[in-house]
Amino acid sequence: MRRFSWFNATSLTFGFAFLYLPMLILIIYSFNESRLVTVWAGFSTKWYGELFQNEQFLDAAWVTVKVAFWSSTIATVLGTMAAYIMVRAGRFRGRGLFSGMIYAPLVMPEVITGLSLLLFFIAIGLDRGVLTIVLAHTTFAMCYVSVVVTSRLVSFDQSLEEAALDLGCTPFDAFRSVTLPIIMPAVISGWLLAFTLSLDDLVIASFTSGPSSTTLPIKIFSAVRLGVTPEINALSTIMIGLVTLGVVSASLVSRATAKKARADEQAAG
Amino acid sequence: MNWRGRLLIAIPYAWLLVLFLVPFVIVLKISLSDIALAIPPYTPNLKDGFWPMLSVLDLENYAFIGAGAVVAGFAGLVLCIAMYRVIFPRIRRAMLPETADTIFDSAAAALTALAVAIVNVAIVVAVLAFLFPALNAFVEIPDFLYFAAYLSSLKIAVISTFLTLLIGYPIAYAMARAAQHWRPTLLMLVILPFWTSFLIRVYAWIGILSTEGYLNQLLLSIGVISEPLAILNTPIAVYVGVVYTYLPFMVLPIYATLDKMDDSLVEAAEDLGCTALSAFWLVTAPLSKPGVIAGCFLVFIPTLGEFVIPSLLGGSDTVMIGKVLWEEFFNNRDWPVASAVAVILLMILIIPIVLFQRNEQKQRELEG
Amino acid sequence: MAHANPDAVFAPWDDPVEKPLIQFKNVTKRFGDFTAIDDLTLDIYAKEFFALLGPSGCGKTTLMRMLGGFETPTEGTILLDGVDIGPVPPNERPVNMMFQSYALFPHLSVWDNIAFGLKRSDMPKDQIGDRVEQMLKLTQLGKFAGRKPHQISGGQRQRVALARSLAKAPKLLLLDEPLGALDKKLRHETQFELMDIQESTGTTFVIVTHDQEEAMTVATRVAVMTEGKLAQVATPEVIYEAPNSAYVADFIGDVNLIEGTVEVPAKRASETSVAIKWSATAPAINASADTPPPAASSVTFAIRPEKVAISSTKPKAANVLEGKILDIAYLGNISTYHVEVAPGLIIKAQATNAKRVSRRNLTWEDHVYLSWTDTAGVVLTA
Repeated sequence: MRRFSWFNATSLTFGFAFLYLPMLILIIYSFNESRLVTVWAGFSTKWYGELFQNEQFLDAAWVTVKVAFWSSTIATVLGTMAAYIMVRAGRFRGRGLFSGMIYAPLVMPEVITGLSLLLFFIAIGLDRGVLTIVLAHTTFAMCYVSVVVTSRLVSFDQSLEEAALDLGCTPFDAFRSVTLPIIMPAVISGWLLAFTLSLDDLVIASFTSGPSSTTLPIKIFSAVRLGVTPEINALSTIMIGLVTLGVVSASLVSRATAKKARADEQAAG
Repeated sequence: MNWRGRLLIAIPYAWLLVLFLVPFVIVLKISLSDIALAIPPYTPNLKDGFWPMLSVLDLENYAFIGAGAVVAGFAGLVLCIAMYRVIFPRIRRAMLPETADTIFDSAAAALTALAVAIVNVAIVVAVLAFLFPALNAFVEIPDFLYFAAYLSSLKIAVISTFLTLLIGYPIAYAMARAAQHWRPTLLMLVILPFWTSFLIRVYAWIGILSTEGYLNQLLLSIGVISEPLAILNTPIAVYVGVVYTYLPFMVLPIYATLDKMDDSLVEAAEDLGCTALSAFWLVTAPLSKPGVIAGCFLVFIPTLGEFVIPSLLGGSDTVMIGKVLWEEFFNNRDWPVASAVAVILLMILIIPIVLFQRNEQKQRELEG
Repeated sequence: MAHANPDAVFAPWDDPVEKPLIQFKNVTKRFGDFTAIDDLTLDIYAKEFFALLGPSGCGKTTLMRMLGGFETPTEGTILLDGVDIGPVPPNERPVNMMFQSYALFPHLSVWDNIAFGLKRSDMPKDQIGDRVEQMLKLTQLGKFAGRKPHQISGGQRQRVALARSLAKAPKLLLLDEPLGALDKKLRHETQFELMDIQESTGTTFVIVTHDQEEAMTVATRVAVMTEGKLAQVATPEVIYEAPNSAYVADFIGDVNLIEGTVEVPAKRASETSVAIKWSATAPAINASADTPPPAASSVTFAIRPEKVAISSTKPKAANVLEGKILDIAYLGNISTYHVEVAPGLIIKAQATNAKRVSRRNLTWEDHVYLSWTDTAGVVLTA
C-alpha cells in the first residue's frame, strides 16, 4: 500500500509551483500592454508584433537554427559511432583516452570548452563564423548523443545482431537493417537533445562566433543584461511554447506506443 | 579487427583529438605565455615553431592568479581524501568493530575529514613557504580577486548544492510515492524545464527578484515588509538561480533510486517495529544514498564553473571563477591569464569529477 | 544416406565408411585464463539430432557458438564437410542458429523475419515469397504472418525463430536452449514437433540444453559435457543404461551410487561377474561388467532406483539387502522409497503405484528388503 500523505502533496505542490511559476509570470507579462514590465496595463500582443519586425532577432534566430541543425546532425552521426565503439568494440589501443574524451565534455565547464576551442581556431587560422560554432557545438553535443545511445545499446540484445550475421548480413548490413532501426528512438532523442543544447548555448557560442554570426542566445544575453524587456518576454514565451509542445507530444506518443505494445502482448497471451 | 572497424573508431577518435584534446593543450601552452599588446594578445604563436614557443614559457600567470595557494589546497584535499578513505576507516574499525555503516557514521567521518583537511591546507602552505623561500612569490596571494573567486565559487557551489538537495529530495520522494499512473506525468513535468532554455529560466528570475520586481510587489502589498528587499545582485539571487535551474538534476537521480526501491522494505521495517519516520531514516534514506550522491555531484560540478547565473543574477559583488575567466578574456583581453584560470578551474574540478565517476562505477558494478 | 538397407537403425557413427559432417579436431578455446573448451575432439554426422548436454558453464554454448562462427577456436580446427571453417565469417557459413532469446527482430513482421535471411541469399526475389509461405505452413504460423513478434505468444515466437533459421535450408541448424522459455507442457509438445521437422527436412540439428529429459527425448546421440570436456558421447539408451562414469550416471536421471572395492580373492560365477565389498558386515554386491576391474581396485556401483525392488518379505535374488524406510516420496504414478541399509547409506527404490494408497502395505519405519539382479547395475571405475 502506498500512502500519499499531506507532506508528499505539499512538497509536490510547492516543488512544481517553484518550477513553473517563474515561467508562468514570464508568459503572462509578455502579453502586457505597458513597456514597464512590472506594471500590468492590459492585454496586448503588440510585443510579438515588434519582435517579428526586429531584423536583428530574426537574423540571429536563423543563424541559431542553422547551427543547431547542422551540429546536431553531425553530432548524432559521430555520437552514435562513438557509442557503438564504447559498447561493442571491446578492447583497443587508446580506449581509455577515448572514453575520457567522450565523458569529459559532459562535466567540463562551458567557459573552458569555449576558451580552448577559440584559441584552437585562432591557432590554426580559422575565421570565426557559423562553421566554427558548428564545429564547437558538434564536439560537445556528440558526447551527449553518445551517452543517450550508449544507454540504449547496453540493454540491446546482442543476439539480434548475431542472428542477422547468421542469416547472411555483413556487419555493416546488420547494423543498418537491424541495430539502427531498433535503437532509432534513442538516436532521435539524442538528436533532439543535441539540437536543444545547441539552440540554448550561450557561452561556447560567445567564444566561437564571429561578428557576422551572432546567435539568438548571444542576442538575448546582451539585451537581458540591461534588464527585463517585453520583447524578450515575448521571445521567451514562444520558445517555452515550442519546447512544451515538443516534449508533451513526444511523451504522449511514447506513452501511446507503450500502451499499444502492452495491449498487443496481452492479446497474444 | 578489420579496416572497417578501425575506420569506425578512427573518425570520432580523430574528431575528439583535434577539437577537444588539442585545444586544451593550446590553453595549457598559452597559460604559460606572456601577454603581448598585439592581437591575438599573446606570444608566441604556434606559427613560430615549437621550440621558440617553449623557450618563453613561464609560470608568471599562475603566480599572478595565486595558483600556489590552489596547489596547496589541492594537496590538502588529496590528503583529506586519503584520511577519509584510508586512515579513518582503520581507526573506526579499531575502535568500533562490528558496527554497521550508517548515514550518521558517514556524516561524522566527513566532518572529521573536513577538520583534518583545514589543518592540512595550513600545514602544506606553511611548509611550502618555509622550505622554499624562492617559491614565496608563488605561494603568496598576489591578487586577492582570484583567490576570492575560487573560494566564493566553492562556497556558492556547496551551499546551493545543499539547498537543492533540501528542496529536491522531498519532491523526488513524493514523486516515487505517487500513484503509478501519475508518475510518467510528474516525471515529464520535472524534465520539461530541462528542455527549455537555460538562459530564459535564469532571465525569468530577474523580473521576480529585482527591487521593483514581482516578489517585492507581493510582499509590500501584503505588508510583510515596508521597504523593498535587495535580492537581485546578491549571492542569494545566485542561490535561487542555481537551485531553480539545477533542480531537475537533483530530483531525477534521487527519484530513480527511490522508484527502484522495493516498497515491501519499508513495510518490513514497520512490521519489525519502526515508526514511519525511523523506517524512512533507517531504510529509505540509506538506500537512496547513491541517488543523493549522484544528484549532488550533478549540481556541484557545473555550478563551480557557472557563468550565466552569477553574471545575470549575482551582480558585480558576486565573483565566481567562470565569470572571472569570461571577464579576463572579453573585458581585459588578457588571454594568458584567462587560460591559466581555466587550467586552475579544471584542477579544482578534477577531485569532484573523479569522485563522481567512481560513485557511478560503483553503482554500475552493484547493479551487475 | 549411405545405408543400403532402409530398415537399418540410423547409426552412422558405427559405420566406418560414413564421413562426418562436422569434425572438431583437438579444439581448445580460452577466454583469458579461463579454458572453456579443453582439447576436444568430436564427430557429428549428417541428419543427426545431436544434443550437447551439461550444467551451465560446461562449455556447451561455446562449442555451439564456434560452429556458428561467433567464437574462433584458440587451438585446433573445426571442419564442416571436410573444409576448415575457422576463417569463414558467420554470414558466409551454411549454418544457421536458433537463439536462446529467439532474437526475433522486433521491428519486422513474422513474414519479414522469416524472409530476412532469404533476402540476403542469392535466391531470386519471386521465389522468396514461396519459400516463406512454405516455412509458415511447416510451423503452422500462416495466420500470424503480418504480426510483429511482440503480438504473438511465446510458443509462436519459438516457431518463428525455428522457421527463420530453417528458411535458408542450412546444412546444419544450431539450437541454443530452444525450448528453455516455454512452460513444461508446451515444451513436451514442441519436442515432438522439433523431431518431426528435423525428420521431414532432413537437416542436421545440434541442440544445446541443460534439460536431460529433453536431450534424451529428441536426440539421436547425446554428448554429456563437463568443464570443457566430453564425459560421454552415446545414444540416450547407452547414456542411461551404461554410463561410463559416476558423473554421467549422476547427471542423467536418479541413481544410487555405492562405493566399494572389488573383493579378494575373486569369487567368480562367470567371466563377467564382479563382487563388490562395500561394508564390513553386509554381503558383497554381485554385479557384472564386460571387462571386470582387477581385484582390490576401488569402484563405484551405480543402480537406478526403478531397478531396485522393494518388498516386506525376503525375496530370492542375486542381491538382497535389509533396511528401514526413512522417507516416502509419493509422485502419483510412482513412489520413491528412501531405505537406510547401513548407517548413513540410503538407497532409493521405486515402485509403481498400481493400487490405491490405502491398500499399500509399506510405510515409514517398516523393515523391508531391497533386491536386484546381477545385471541391473553398472560397475564404474571412473
